Amino acid sequence: MYNTKIRGELITGNKTMAQVTSDILRPIEDAAPAWWYVAMALSSLAVIWGVYSMYLTVAYGIGMWNLNNSVGWGWDIINFVWWIGIGHAGTAFSIFLLILRQKWRTSINRAAEAMTVFAVICAGLFPSLHMGRVWDAFYVLPYPNTRGPLWVNYNSPLFWDFTAISTYLTISASFWYLGMLPDFGTIRDRTTSKLRKAIYGFFAMGWTGSSRQWQRYEALAFVLGGMAALLVVSVHSIVSTDFASSVEPGWHTTIFPPYFVVGAIFSGFAMVMTLMIIIRKFYHLQDYITDSHLNATAKILTFVSLIMGTAYMTEIFIAWYSGNKYEIFTFFHNRITGDYAPQFWAMFICNAIIPQLFWFKKIRGSLAMLFIISIIINIGMWFERYNIIVTSLAKDYLPSSWATYSPSIVEVGVFVGTLGIFSTGVLMFFRYIPMMAIHELKTAIKPEEE
Amino acid sequence: MKNEKLIGVFNEIALFERAVQIMKDSDIEIEELFMPVPVHQAVRNVTGRSRLPILAYFLGLGSIISVMSFLYYTSVISWPLNIGGKPSNAFPSFIIVTLVLTILTVTILSLLAFSISSELYPGKKADIMDLRALDDKFLIIINSDKVPGAENILRQNGANEIIQTPG
Repeated sequence: MYNTKIRGELITGNKTMAQVTSDILRPIEDAAPAWWYVAMALSSLAVIWGVYSMYLTVAYGIGMWNLNNSVGWGWDIINFVWWIGIGHAGTAFSIFLLILRQKWRTSINRAAEAMTVFAVICAGLFPSLHMGRVWDAFYVLPYPNTRGPLWVNYNSPLFWDFTAISTYLTISASFWYLGMLPDFGTIRDRTTSKLRKAIYGFFAMGWTGSSRQWQRYEALAFVLGGMAALLVVSVHSIVSTDFASSVEPGWHTTIFPPYFVVGAIFSGFAMVMTLMIIIRKFYHLQDYITDSHLNATAKILTFVSLIMGTAYMTEIFIAWYSGNKYEIFTFFHNRITGDYAPQFWAMFICNAIIPQLFWFKKIRGSLAMLFIISIIINIGMWFERYNIIVTSLAKDYLPSSWATYSPSIVEVGVFVGTLGIFSTGVLMFFRYIPMMAIHELKTAIKPEEE
Repeated sequence: MKNEKLIGVFNEIALFERAVQIMKDSDIEIEELFMPVPVHQAVRNVTGRSRLPILAYFLGLGSIISVMSFLYYTSVISWPLNIGGKPSNAFPSFIIVTLVLTILTVTILSLLAFSISSELYPGKKADIMDLRALDDKFLIIINSDKVPGAENILRQNGANEIIQTPG
C-alpha cells in the first residue's frame, strides 16, 4: 500500500485495483439514489427561474436590474467574481498538486476540475448578460470587421479578462477531459450495456492504455499542467485589474492582484471541501476521501484564511496610512462603520475569524463542522465581493451622486439560476462521470518503490 | 509468416516492471505494453521519452511571435487608435494578451499533436487486446515469430497467463 511519511495511507481498506474500479464506477453502474432525483428537481427549478430571469434581462434590457448611475456593477459582477473565484481553485488544486507530485490529489482532483468547469460557465454568463445586447457579444473578439476595421483595445483590462477567462475555460475543460480518457476506456471495456459502451466508447477516443498512449498522455498532462498553472495565477490577477486600474476609492490599490488570487483559492478550496464531504457521505467513499484528505484541506484553508485576514488588515492600514480622505472614508466610514458595516463584518468574520477554528483538531475531525465552515467561507467570500463592488461605487468622490443599491428580483433570479446550473452540472457529474480518477487512484495503491 | 502474437498477462505491477526490464536488457523485442496505470520505467523502456514537451516549447515560441506581430499590426499599422494620447504601440500592456493567447495556442495545438500522434479521436474504435487491461492486468505483447521461445521467456519472468492470438 502506498504510504507517505506525512499522510499515511492515501487509500484505506487494502483495496485491489479491481476493487478501486468497482467502487468508483458503482454510482454510474447502479441506479441513482432517491436523494439524487430530489436534488435534481430542486436544481431544475432554480435553473427555470434563472432562465426566466435571463429572458427578462435580454428581452427588456438591463433596466430590469436595479443598477443605477453610481452603482453600475451590482450583483452581476459580484456573482461573476464569486463564481470565477470558485472556478479558480479547482484547477489550482489539481495542477499545483500535480506539479508538486502530491499523490493525495488523486482522490480530489476530478471533482475539483469538474467544479471549475461548471463554475466558469456560470461566471461567463454574467458579463455576457451585462452587455445588454448579448447577440453582439462577438464584438469583443479581435476580428477583421467592417467597421474600419476597428480593432479592440488591447490596453483594457476588460479585454484581458475576456481572453483570460475564455482561455481558462478551454484549458480547464481540456485538462478535465484528458484526465477522463483512460476512465472512459475502463467503463467502455467493463459495461455490458450496448448504449453505454457506444457512448463511453465514443468519448474514450480509442484509448487502450498502450505504452505509447501513456507516454504521450503523461507528457501532455504536464504541458497542460504547466500552462494552466500560469493561467491560475494570471486569471484572477487580471480580474483584479478590472478594479485596480480604475480610480475608485477602495479599488485603486496594488494589493488587489495577490489579494484576488488568494481569495479565489480560498473560496475554491472551500467549495472543494463541500463537494468532497458530499461525495464521501452520500456515496460512502470514505476509503478514498479519508480524514487525512479533509485534514490537509482544512489546514490549507486555515493558512489561506490567515492571508485573507492579513490582506483585509493591510487594506485598512494603507487607507489610514495614506492619509487619503476618500480612502479613509470608504474603509472607516462606509465599510467598518456606516451603511455597509453588516456586509463588511460578515466578510471579516466568515473569512478571517471562523476558519481559525480549524486550529482545533476536534473541529478538523468533524465532518459536520468541516461542511458548515466550508459553506460559511463561501458566504463570506460572496460578501467580500459585495464589499468591494457596492461600497466603493455607492459612495465615491461626489456626494451628490451617492446612491443606494439593492438587487431586483430579476438579479436574484439570475444568481439562483447559476446556482441551479452549477448544481445540475455537479449532479450530472456524480451520475455519469467517475468522480475520482480511477487510473490515478490505482497509482496510489501500488506498493511504495524502494 | 503467421505473425502470431503472445500476450503475457501479469497481475503484479512489480513483476511486470521487472519482466520488461529483463527483456529490454536481453534485447528481446517487445511489441507493445498495455496497462491500467502508467508504469514509468516500463513505458520508458519500450517507447523512450516523449518529444511533446519540446514541440510545446517551439509552439510557445511561435505563438509569442505570432501574437505580438498580430497586436502590433492591428494597433500600429492597420488602425491606430488614440486612447488618451498614449502611444499606439503600447508594448507592456500587450504582454498580458500575449501570455494568455500563447497559453491558449500551445494548449490547443498540443492537444491536436497528441491526438494525431496517438491516433486518438472521438468515436475511434479501440483495438483492445484484453478487456482487463484497463482494469487490473498488465500486458506484454511479443511477436512470437520474431522472438523464438517467447512463451518461455514470459512464463519465466512471472506472467500469470499467456494468451496466443493470430496477428
